[in-house]
Amino acid sequence: MIEIKHISKSYNKGKVRAVNDLDLTVKSGEIFGFLGPNGAGKTTTIKMIVGLLRPDSGSIVVDGLDTQKDALKCKSITTYVPDYPNVYERLTGLEYLNFIGDVYGVPKNERLERIGKWLDIFELAGAVSNPIQSYSHGMKEKIVLIAALLPAPRVMVLDEPMVGLDPRASHSLKELMREHCDQGKTLFFSTHVMEVAEKLCDRIGIIHQGRLIACGTMDELKALDRADTSLENIFLELTDK
Amino acid sequence: MRKFLCLVRAGLRSNFGLSVLRHRLFREKKDIWLVPLFAVAFVAVLPSIYGLILLVQNLYLALKPVGQERALLTLGVLGGQFFILLFGLYYVISAFYFSRDLEFLIPLPLKPFQVMASKFAVIMINEYLTVMIIVLPVLVGYGVLARGGWPYWVNAVLVYLLLPVIPLAVVALLVVILMRFVNLGRRKDALVLIGSIVLLTSALGLQFIVGRSPNVKPSAQAMTAFFASPDSLLNVIGSRFPPSIWASKAVAGGFSASGLLNLALFAGTSVLFFAAILVLSERLFYRGLVGLREVSARKRAMSRAQMEQRVSSGRHPVRAVFGREWRLMIRTPIFLLNGTLVVVIVPAVFALMVKAGSGSRDMDAVLRLMNSAHPLIVILAAAAFMIVCGSLNGTSSSAFSREGAQFWISRVIPVSPRDQVAAKFLHSYLVALLGTVTASLVAVWMLHLTAARLLVAAGLSLVAGIFLTALGMIIDLARPLLDWTNPQKAIKQNLNVVLAMCADIGVLTALYFAVRFMVRWKLPDAAVIAVLYGILGVCSAAGYAALARFAERRYREIEV
Repeated sequence: MIEIKHISKSYNKGKVRAVNDLDLTVKSGEIFGFLGPNGAGKTTTIKMIVGLLRPDSGSIVVDGLDTQKDALKCKSITTYVPDYPNVYERLTGLEYLNFIGDVYGVPKNERLERIGKWLDIFELAGAVSNPIQSYSHGMKEKIVLIAALLPAPRVMVLDEPMVGLDPRASHSLKELMREHCDQGKTLFFSTHVMEVAEKLCDRIGIIHQGRLIACGTMDELKALDRADTSLENIFLELTDK
Repeated sequence: MRKFLCLVRAGLRSNFGLSVLRHRLFREKKDIWLVPLFAVAFVAVLPSIYGLILLVQNLYLALKPVGQERALLTLGVLGGQFFILLFGLYYVISAFYFSRDLEFLIPLPLKPFQVMASKFAVIMINEYLTVMIIVLPVLVGYGVLARGGWPYWVNAVLVYLLLPVIPLAVVALLVVILMRFVNLGRRKDALVLIGSIVLLTSALGLQFIVGRSPNVKPSAQAMTAFFASPDSLLNVIGSRFPPSIWASKAVAGGFSASGLLNLALFAGTSVLFFAAILVLSERLFYRGLVGLREVSARKRAMSRAQMEQRVSSGRHPVRAVFGREWRLMIRTPIFLLNGTLVVVIVPAVFALMVKAGSGSRDMDAVLRLMNSAHPLIVILAAAAFMIVCGSLNGTSSSAFSREGAQFWISRVIPVSPRDQVAAKFLHSYLVALLGTVTASLVAVWMLHLTAARLLVAAGLSLVAGIFLTALGMIIDLARPLLDWTNPQKAIKQNLNVVLAMCADIGVLTALYFAVRFMVRWKLPDAAVIAVLYGILGVCSAAGYAALARFAERRYREIEV
């Protein structure tokens, strides 16, 4: 579960307000889609959840742990996939996965089983002993995803995870996301792909100019528009202000 | 020409991070604390600058009575040019082949020679700043002492501006040719590294050859002839590298016929070398460059057994972070050269330079005498040499900067900052240890240290290494440079590395004064060494504790 309690974040000494009094709860077992135009505050919110940015005010609680006060415990149950797969290019894929397994304390047997399984699913088994430097953008995205899945975290936070993935990998990821949440775990992700959000998410939040302007299930969002319309239309209407 | 100037301007802005610095200093006011820090760093290196000025003055006064003072200019020019030849190599390789701006410069409608010339110009400006400390004291000192008129100063400025052209062009020619062929191979990193070491060895070899002078005893007649001409010593010093003679004569001669002729010779040769680079770049530069970043790798699926063997069985996080640091360092040629190999190269260069000098036998005798007469001085000199060789590298002061855009990983993994810093510290300290070991070998060879004295000196160096490593890491952690696009920036052009070196020099200067004070108080040698161990031990413990505490705070504050 992720509880975001009235967080705000501004840059440039308060001149640019990226997130403004955001209040949101993502329940366990839920896939939560976070939508918003460019610069709306999605990445800033995500970075605050995983501890890369500190909120100016408010707090974030992950599975009962405050991200500021119990930072290390929070990190041990959360994994993160950034919007751009910036990873250690001079390591091989397997060395990177080993590093992640070591720091999250994943036992060898589980590590072997999970790495083998996801390398097959993401068709990366042939490249795992090569340096990440030699990977394409999509392959880098895949290795970051596998690294995020490796510790079997309680909470996964993904920033536009579908970008750069081929259709097969994208399909596999959606299945994995569902599987993850069916085990009672939490998944929070941002996307610009309305169809994915519409079909995959249990609930959707729309952020605009740092404020959460809508949040609910697909049906609840449709009710806002009082018409049987698509998520895309709802999004366009809500953010056209 | 306009395109070229645009490129140079953009290159300078990116190289020195001018736009970012201005933004951070005056807009965000984040780096405003750098101003007093710079002032402190400047004060810390003042004793060294003062020492250089004194050296120039003494040399001038020693050479003046025999009419050979012009040789001082040759020494300065030659020193500066060799410095550029030796260290320009790193700049050239990384600016020409490893900077990421090349990725968008190549598709632009620019000719290869324009790109190459702009990069060359940026390196030249870098070199003006680098050799300033060697050449300026000589040019200014000589000018003041010899009361050179304005023609002297005009020519001195021109020579200073042209100074980096020839050595940089030599390095660039070698690099461009080498890279053209390196690019044919699959293992480019290894070849780049081997190529760099070969070039470096060649530069050292050249230095060795130049440093050696014929060992013949001159006759009285030859000696008289030698001192009859004011340029005799100048010619001997610069004989292996004539441009340095022309440069010295141009500066000393002012606007006289000889001065202008030598200036024309120096400028003409520089232009020729620069032209050669332009011609060659048009033919070879892009061919060596295109595809350099591409890494080919064969796809090989691993069997279950292979996977079992290579999947680790759960290392302690400190070990995992240490392994990552080590791998990233040795697999990035620029980091390896500037962080690790430099601690081996510097003592070797020093030993070769001293042993190659014509007075090495006399020096040997003096050192043997010192060893028996002043053991304390010998031990402390050896310790200082080991400290300089072990700690004055960029490993600790770029420990966080080297992570660059990947620092987000360190921020999200469930490993406490204390543990991460411990792993980084161990890595940096191991490099310092390598430097101390190499320097110990050189010290034994040159200073003829006994085993006991060697142990005392190496011990001092190792204790000091803890403090200086922690200090370097604290400086880098205070202001990590994480937004680099060229790994060279993280270590070679990182202000933190310079600040840490200034801090190290400051610490060594403070220790020097502490020793002077103790010697003046007639403390026995053993007591002086014990006090030094005590001071360094306390500083090391306090330094490491401060680093661990600082890391807990900074890891929360640094936003990526």
